[in-house]
Parts: sequence; C-alpha cells; structure tokens
Amino acid sequence: MKLLVVEDNNDLLQNILTYLEREGYICEYARDYDEAFNKIMSFTYDIVLIDIMIPGGSGLQVLRKLKSVDSKTGTIIISAKNALDDKVEGLELGADDYLTKPFQLPELHARIKAVNRRKHYGGNEIVQINEIEINTKTMEVKVRDTLLDLTPKEYDLLVYFSSNKNHVLSKQTIAEHLWGDYVDHLKNLDFVYQHIKNLRRKLEKAGAKNYIESVYGIGYKFRVR
Amino acid sequence: MKLISRFILVYLVVTMIVLGIAGVISYFIIMDELNNELKWRFMGRIERVTYLLEKGKDFNSRRVHGRDDNLIVKKLSFPVEPSVEVKDTMVWHERLQRMEPNLKVTAYRSVNDTTYYISTYGALIESEDITEAVVQILLWIMGMMVIGAVGVGFIVSGRLFKPFRQTLTKIQNFKLRDKKPITAEKTNIREFDDLNRFVEGMTRKIIADYKNLKEFAENASHELQTPLAIAHGKLELLTETNLTPEQYRYVEATLRTIRKLSRLSESLALLTKIENHEFTDSADVNITELIKDSIRSFSELIKLNGLDVSIDLSEDVIVRMHPVLADFMWTNLFQNAIKHNIDNGSINIVLSPSSLRISNTGKPLTIQTESLFERFKKADQNSDSIGLGLSIIKHISDQNGFHTTYCYEDNWHSLEVRFLNSQSNGESRS
Repeated sequence: MKLLVVEDNNDLLQNILTYLEREGYICEYARDYDEAFNKIMSFTYDIVLIDIMIPGGSGLQVLRKLKSVDSKTGTIIISAKNALDDKVEGLELGADDYLTKPFQLPELHARIKAVNRRKHYGGNEIVQINEIEINTKTMEVKVRDTLLDLTPKEYDLLVYFSSNKNHVLSKQTIAEHLWGDYVDHLKNLDFVYQHIKNLRRKLEKAGAKNYIESVYGIGYKFRVR
Repeated sequence: MKLISRFILVYLVVTMIVLGIAGVISYFIIMDELNNELKWRFMGRIERVTYLLEKGKDFNSRRVHGRDDNLIVKKLSFPVEPSVEVKDTMVWHERLQRMEPNLKVTAYRSVNDTTYYISTYGALIESEDITEAVVQILLWIMGMMVIGAVGVGFIVSGRLFKPFRQTLTKIQNFKLRDKKPITAEKTNIREFDDLNRFVEGMTRKIIADYKNLKEFAENASHELQTPLAIAHGKLELLTETNLTPEQYRYVEATLRTIRKLSRLSESLALLTKIENHEFTDSADVNITELIKDSIRSFSELIKLNGLDVSIDLSEDVIVRMHPVLADFMWTNLFQNAIKHNIDNGSINIVLSPSSLRISNTGKPLTIQTESLFERFKKADQNSDSIGLGLSIIKHISDQNGFHTTYCYEDNWHSLEVRFLNSQSNGESRS
C-alpha cells in the first residue's frame, strides 16, 4: 500500500514513517503545500494523511485539490486544532477520517486500515489471519466456518489487534481505542482484561489458536507468525 | 453622593459659618455706631442743660419726664472738676419687663460756682431689635446664596460636567469584545480633555493586550499539541523495542502524562475561547435529546463503573445557547458525576423546563464550596483530572445567563443549572 504523509514537522513525520514503514507500507512525504500539491498531481496514492497546518497553504486546500482529481484516494486529516469547524469542513470536503494530535500510532494505523478497507474494497474486505476470517462489512468473524458470537467491543478489539499484529499494545492504548477519552474517568483498566479474556475464550472455543499473548506488566500482543 | 451635591453642601456649610461670624461682627458694628450717635445726642442734651442752668433754669433735682426723660440733674455741695463720662449700664425696661443695656452719659458741670451732676441714659434701639434685624438680613443673604448655589450646581452639572458624563457613559458601555476603543469628544476643559485622552489611550492598550492574549492562548494550545504528538510518537516507538516491564511502565506513565498535558491545553484553550466570547452564535438546543444521547454513549462506562443512573427528564426542553457549549456543559457535568462517584454509587438526573439538576453519591468535599468553580481546584489533588471541568461549566452558564449552584447533603453532591433565558421559560411567561 502506498501512502503520502503531508506533515511539516520533521519529528512527527519520522514517527509516522518509522511506524508505518515497519508495517510494510510504502511511504512518501511532503513537507509543504507545493510539495504535496506536486505529489498528488503526479502520483496516485492509496491513502493520504494531511496535516491541516502546513507551510504555504492549508491542508484543506490539498484535500480539495486531491478530491478534484482523484476521489478514490483515502484521506485522513490530522490536526492539532481541536476546532470543530476544521473537522466538519474536512469531513464535508470528503476526508474519510479525522485525527487530532496527539494521536496514538496504533490508532493511526487502525484508522488507515479501516479507511483503506472502505475505499478500496468497498468495505467488503475479508481480513484473513490464518484460520480467522473477519468480514468487515457484515462484522462477522468466522474460525474455519464457525461463526463467532462477539459483542461489538470484542469485534472492535479483534479488528484492532489484526491491524496491529505483533505489536505490544498496552491496556491504556486498548482502552483508549475502545472507549476514547472516557477512559480518563475510569478508576482501573481491569475491564480490558475482561474483554480480552472473553475474546480469547470465544476464539479458542471455535478452534482458533491462542494468538493473544499477555505481556507481563505491559499489555497484550497479537502474535501471528 | 454626587460630586456637585457635595460641592454645594461644603459651600453652604462654609457660607453659614462665615455668615454667623459676619452676623456677630455686624451686631457689634451697628451697636457701636448707634451708641456713638446716641453719645453725641446725649452730649448735646447735656450742653443744653448746662446752658439752661447758666440761664438760671432750675431743674430742682427732679426728673424731667416726657420727651426728655431719663435726665437727672443734681446740685452737688462740693466742687468737682468738669468732666464727661460715658458708660454702659443696665436699665429696667418697663415694656419688655427686663433689664436692657443702655448708654449712660454723666457729666459734671460748674455753673455759677455750683457743681451740677448731669446724667442721661437711654437706648436708640433695643438690642433685641438689632439682633433681629441682623438675623433677618443674614437669612435673606443665606436664602439667596442657597438658590444661587443650587442654580450654579445645576448649570455646572448640566453643562460643565457634560463631557465628563459622556466619557463616563462611554466607559460604562465599553465592551472588550467589540474591540472598539473609546473615542471621546473634544472639550476645552483641560482636566476633562486629559481624562479623555487617557481613557482613549488606555482602552486602545487594553484592546491590543486582549488581542495578544487571545492569540497567544489559542496559538499556545495549537503549538503545544505538535511537540506533544512528537513526544508521544517517540515513546510509542520506544515501546516497540525490547523493553523490560519496568521500563515499559515508565514509558506508559510518561505517555499518560503527555495525554494529560494535551487535554489540559485543550481545556485551557476552550476556557479562553469561552471567556473571549467566541461562542456567541446560539441555536435552540434540545437538552432532553442531548442527555438521552449522551447517556446512551456513556452506558458502557456507567456499567463499568458500577453506577446506577436514574433519570427524570421533561420532554423536549429547549434552551437557546451555542450547541457546542451545550454539549461541553452537559458532558462535563456528567463526567464529573461519574468521576467523583463512589463504587456502586448512583447518579440522579432531573431535567425540568427551567433547570437541570445532576446529583451523585460521593465523598464529602475537602475544599471550600466557594472555590469549587475556580480553576485547578480539585477535591483530590492526586487525581488524574485536570481541574477545569467545573470552571468550564461555570463559564458556560455565566455566559448564557444561567445560574449554577452546588450543594452537598447526605453524601450527595448536587449541581443545579437554572436556565434563566430558556425558551420554555419565556413561553410559560408569555
């Protein structure tokens, strides 16, 4: 998958590139408006990540131009501004998703995956992890044709794991993915363990291997060899 | 008290004192003049008596009544040097039935080798009459002065102070968010002109400072997010390396702190925006729907916290306010009720057309109730919350003319917001 990251901050760019390249994406980047404009006009990308505040113009302009030439490219707006206006405008212009800084890299990755599925497979992609089959359209999970009865949160958790295979995901990260900012109001994160325990039990019952590893004192890892 | 009233009052008090002293002085001057006049008249009379004695008229030591009363002529058996003596004396006044100060002139005269004692006394005007006259004159002067002072006061406050009052009105009507400095009219009174120039300069400075501060607060929030995102990302990449659980815990704690910082700067930016009155567009917000939706989305969180939520909502409560602010206010209220709750606690939400009351079980406050709405006042200093939630609620309600109150009773914390400008209120009134 080919990505373009439009971001003027070098450190942030390196963070994103390091993480995504490790996932096997082909990443290009643009540091200002002109560079971004030239690249979207010359090449096609599967996903473009756009920071709103870039030198020489606005990320929203890049988005507008991109949509006028190629509507198939998935777009994710990244903004430091929490301003709702930007979000609304970005989504109105056809951005597929919106992230505010600071975001978590696994979260960004999960969003990229989701946008990619929506844009390029019509949301119909079947995610296959060995014997596990996730239908992202019907939200059904099968293990060797056995349909699993998952709660929405368990499904969400599995998709999140599948997007971030072989990464250690902390309880905090998982909780924030599933419940967003509300996590701040929870006294402890034991419920993450409850959800993972249930998911693991359901997968094993259907005959799947135990992919979810507990990493002591840290969190969990979805290990796929 | 108005400046001009104070002015007139001081003026009148001073006038009264001055007039009082003037009255006493006048009395003595008039008295003196009268006595002088009387003295000359008495002298004349004595001269006449002497003349008559020289002519051989015999007064026979009797008192002469009628027009020439109060005259005593005595023949002395021993010679006295001719002399004249003038003195004050008290004489019984028949009509007034009391002693009256009179002037008495006594003379010794030698006529044909006989010494005569000639004495005459009397008063031209009774002392009381003089006092009466003086007081009357002073009262007239006083009256005219009062009329004059009040008249001048009206003119001064009406005309002279007009530029001052205009400037005052402009200062009273000055609104920071209009971003218009005060421009006062030119006046030819130097003090007022100085004041006007000063007010103009000051408001210009205030507006410039306000603009700077506003821009700073907004930019600071934005500029902070990028470095925080970088630090966050670097730490995430660090977690991908082979860390020991101990190292990982440190990284996790740092990540949490970074997220807290980010939330803090977001909340501060929001608070600044509210304070700067950036959310002035209002729309009809259906609070009932807002609460229902939010309870739905919080339902899992409520369950995870083991809370029991009971609601009593009036249908379609419409409040006119900025939709984003309505959302922030309710979310903050609800999150507070969840956050500061106890295990297996309860939340009670009552929405009526005129007010919203949210109560939750919880431990008693450790801080003063009054400081609850201040920034960074937290009941639990170690908690993960940033301490801006209630401050945001307070600001939102203040801006919309709502009234927010807090009370604690029997382990229940209650926050009540009264929608004073709500439409349903307006309808019930009309």
